[in-house]
Amino acid sequence: MAMGRYIIKRVLISLPLLVTISFFSFILNQLSPLDPAEVILHAQGVPNITSELIAETKARLGMDQPLLTRYVQWFVSCLQLDFGNSYVTGKPVWSLLGPAFLNTLKLTLVSVIAIIALSITLGTICALREGKWVDKSVRGIFFLLTSMPSYWLAALIVWYFSVKLDLLPTSGMDTYQSYILPVTVITISFAGIYFRIIRSSMLSNLNEDYVLYGRACGLPESKITLHLLRNSLQVAISVFGMAIPVILGSTVVVENLFVWPGLGTLSVKSILSRDFPIIQAYVLVLAAAFVIFNTFSDIVNAALNPKLRKDH
Amino acid sequence: MNKNVAILLSALLISMTLLAACGSNKTESKAKANKRTELVYATAKDINDMNPHLYAGSIPAQGIVYESLVENTKDGITPMLAESWDISPDGKTYTFYLRKGVTFHDGEPFNADAVKKNIEAVQSNKSKHSWIKLSTKIVSINVVAEHTVQLVLSEAYYPTLLELAMTRPYAFLSPKDFSSGGTKDGVNGFNGTGPYKLTEHQTDQHAVFEANESYWGGAPKVKKITAKVLPTGETTLLALQKGEVNFIFTDDRGTDSLDVQAMKELADSGDYQIVRSEPMNTKMIVVNSSKAGSPVQETAVREAIWYSIDRETISKQIFNGTETPANTLFSSNVNYAEVELKKRGYDLETANKLLEKAGWILENGSKIRTKAGSQLAITLYYDANSPSQKTEAEFIQSTVQKSGIRLELVGEESSSIAQRRATGDYDMLFNQTWGLAYDPQSTIAAFTSESSYFHTTNGIANATELYTKINKVMVSTDEQTRKLLYADILKIVHDEAVFIPITNGNVTLVAPKSLQGISFKQTQYELPFERMYFQ
Amino acid sequence: MKIVTRIGKDKLAAVCLLFIAAILVTGVFAPLFAPHAPEEVHMELRFAASSWEYWLGNDHLGRCILSRLIYGIRPSVLWVLVALSISVAIGTTLGFIAGYFRGKADAILMRVCDIMLSFPGYVMTLAVIGILGAGLENILIAFVLMKWAWFARIIRTSVMQYTDTEYVKFAKAIGVSNINIMIKHILPVSLPDIAVISSSSFGSMILQISGFSFLGLGIQAPHAEWGMMLNEARAVMFSRPELMLAPGIAIILVVSAINFLSDALQIALDPKLMTSRHKWQGKAIALASKPHGKEVA
Repeated sequence: MAMGRYIIKRVLISLPLLVTISFFSFILNQLSPLDPAEVILHAQGVPNITSELIAETKARLGMDQPLLTRYVQWFVSCLQLDFGNSYVTGKPVWSLLGPAFLNTLKLTLVSVIAIIALSITLGTICALREGKWVDKSVRGIFFLLTSMPSYWLAALIVWYFSVKLDLLPTSGMDTYQSYILPVTVITISFAGIYFRIIRSSMLSNLNEDYVLYGRACGLPESKITLHLLRNSLQVAISVFGMAIPVILGSTVVVENLFVWPGLGTLSVKSILSRDFPIIQAYVLVLAAAFVIFNTFSDIVNAALNPKLRKDH
Repeated sequence: MNKNVAILLSALLISMTLLAACGSNKTESKAKANKRTELVYATAKDINDMNPHLYAGSIPAQGIVYESLVENTKDGITPMLAESWDISPDGKTYTFYLRKGVTFHDGEPFNADAVKKNIEAVQSNKSKHSWIKLSTKIVSINVVAEHTVQLVLSEAYYPTLLELAMTRPYAFLSPKDFSSGGTKDGVNGFNGTGPYKLTEHQTDQHAVFEANESYWGGAPKVKKITAKVLPTGETTLLALQKGEVNFIFTDDRGTDSLDVQAMKELADSGDYQIVRSEPMNTKMIVVNSSKAGSPVQETAVREAIWYSIDRETISKQIFNGTETPANTLFSSNVNYAEVELKKRGYDLETANKLLEKAGWILENGSKIRTKAGSQLAITLYYDANSPSQKTEAEFIQSTVQKSGIRLELVGEESSSIAQRRATGDYDMLFNQTWGLAYDPQSTIAAFTSESSYFHTTNGIANATELYTKINKVMVSTDEQTRKLLYADILKIVHDEAVFIPITNGNVTLVAPKSLQGISFKQTQYELPFERMYFQ
Repeated sequence: MKIVTRIGKDKLAAVCLLFIAAILVTGVFAPLFAPHAPEEVHMELRFAASSWEYWLGNDHLGRCILSRLIYGIRPSVLWVLVALSISVAIGTTLGFIAGYFRGKADAILMRVCDIMLSFPGYVMTLAVIGILGAGLENILIAFVLMKWAWFARIIRTSVMQYTDTEYVKFAKAIGVSNINIMIKHILPVSLPDIAVISSSSFGSMILQISGFSFLGLGIQAPHAEWGMMLNEARAVMFSRPELMLAPGIAIILVVSAINFLSDALQIALDPKLMTSRHKWQGKAIALASKPHGKEVA
């Protein structure tokens, strides 16, 4: 069956990608200018480091073996979600990264849903009213919003809604209300892109022969709209699939602004404290998630659009 | 896109601008802080591992959960978990009579046996505690009676009680929390004897401490303290204005969460008060005298930097006068620190002369001095979480430039800076002396400790002499000898200009107006929360 | 060229083009335009309001904001342009090799591109900063490393379709060398495509780099950069919100102008650009390309 074969093919393509990514992440840590053993000891706040302590730590970490052996060992332990320990806190990396990943995922999903809802609504309205005042102003607003630095926008929004109106929490992830501001900022900065995609796909739909033909034959408008809606649902699903990985990797600035306990905050903090195991695991986990979501979205797209399966 | 869109765009842009601009006329505070009976403080870092026998945890948090045998106060060493003590005439045996009826948070009794287990747990991990000289002097710890315990040292050591008073490592954890008989590989719980117990901890989000109702010193009045992780700067300010947090203080790394100006405006708005301690420490730039190939190995360069810093302006403009300029490593009110030392004020001319003499010259119109083809370029690390350090760094960068020195600034997390200090991977970094309870003895002892100031002091000409004197002063039993030795030590590091003082720092806290009983300890690392109450 | 005249007709696009050109010139000749030295500290003028001498006032070290804004063009716009040009150059070269010669080189290059594109841009940039440390150069390096694959891929598609045209086949038949064909026949026609994709990346790159500087991972003090200026302004956002305005508006104006111009370019080229590709592929690329090319800060 064509679809089944496509899925297998697509998954098979992504496997070597994942391996390459993992190797890259592994090498990344090897490039770090610090001796991990020493770093670990310092991170634990050990005030006086002796050479015996370093040797002991090195042996414990198995750092005296050849690169490839270490890579394989590392890879196997990564599959078991064992990414080593943080240099700074000494805790297992996954105990920090796991919850952060989940939090970022939550933020991403809510944002993507908001983006889809907004861009579908506005995209449809604008397509139906192409060239009219509504269309132009919505496009104009989105155009401006996409050109705005999100942190600048965020500062304005926080100041207005949190401080001025005292409606929403300024930061953190304590209640469902905490979602509103970060999601708004992400939505505003990304909706512009997806809105354009949806609008133009709606427009091309509108101009397709059967719509024109249907209209010409006096098919009721409601039927045509229904057809258009079904079509836009398809677009929505495929955009949804594409947006998740993109936004998953782009929440860094917003997370830091709103102190969202996610991957973006964690990664910047780790960079500033040179906590390499976390940086490494962060790159690995996000890149892997990116590949997996992309594969998934390609498969969904192919299921929706049989033409896509043939080539590739 | 056509003209209409363009008009719309510009209209939007203008309205956005107006929206932003009209915010400037009032910064109203909506703090609901007044009705609170609990404190929520903002901290730039998670409380981390609360194990009292290791160094990763937040000291203020450890300070309210755990206690030591004795306390270091303004009036000297006072009783804490030990009600009284005897010292044998030879200074080698300390007998402590423990406070009775004290229990750990998990209900376990605090007794001689618990003291023995804890101190032994610390001693079993000796290599990590070598910065505390006491850890190298303890021979044994013996249970004499249910509430009497004896500490035997290899030789007399005058700072024994001072070091036992420190927040860590000689603090007491319920032996039930020990994992496989010790604490060095982690613990199973964080039950101390202190006024607060840790009841909830969400890494990188918050930690909750609740009052210990059966605290031996009486139940604290502030029933709940929450440490909320927030980045410094305007996020914290916002949270304060909204009442999401209602308490901030200079943290254990010397980081003020707020700009002086912002704090002042907040206090003027009416809901908050600012309380400052007396000068507690000296904020300084630590210079690595032992880094091969770095210009700061030269005393002349270090001195020139010292002369190129305008402390008056830093004190006046950056700190609005809340911190005073410092000209010596320890201010004269610190024990043993009343020593006559040469004052090096802001004097670019002298700085330039020193550099010329040392062979650093300005060649064909360049702004940066060179010597033997290499530039006079130095890196200064500052805490990325401290707005005041960043401003100071930038200001110092601009004045040393006038002496032909290029200063590169790198902002990092405090843990990374501590790591640089320990590995010697730095030219210069911001630091501070350890506070009244630790100055001068612990700070000076740290000159020899690799994790602290070993790299700072090791490159100077008379390093060996310095280390010998430090070792001597710690075991000296004669007050007059100690005085002379400390004077020598302070003179050596002053002349070598390895610790460049900037200002005398204090602990600053912003608290709700209704909070009373605010006081400070002899250390910048802890606050006596148990004495505070709401009116 | 036709496109230039076509854009010339769109007055707004022409204004944008002029604006961007003016910004670039101002940046290059910053010392001529800036009224003061950008790093000159006057502590007594800390947070001074705007005056005749300092049009936009002074920052937390009493430095002239206007001058810093002008010097800030260099890292915020000019250096981004340089990084963009390098990655476009790499992308074009490899895209040409892959699209023109096809075969093994193509297959290998495209696999490499797949791998590069499977790392989300932000994550890679953070990884590079994580290893090399914070700094403008490191972010630019990361940009070049990341973006070329993206350009190579699109340019390959564009080159492929021109390679199939009759006149190229004819040129080949009469024995014109490959290099000559590429330079004389393919490069001129694919240049507009290259212009469109690079201009559409330009705006988002400016936003991203200012975002990193805003987080403190970009340029280091004392150099002026717009994102960094916003970061410094943020610390006093409530007492002096006006400091947020100048750099913020500068970014918005420049990015809007670039995006607008990029759109105008695309519209000017639209018929050719959209119809000549295989229909589904064109659509899929249009769908997939936007989000990747335009990661917003």
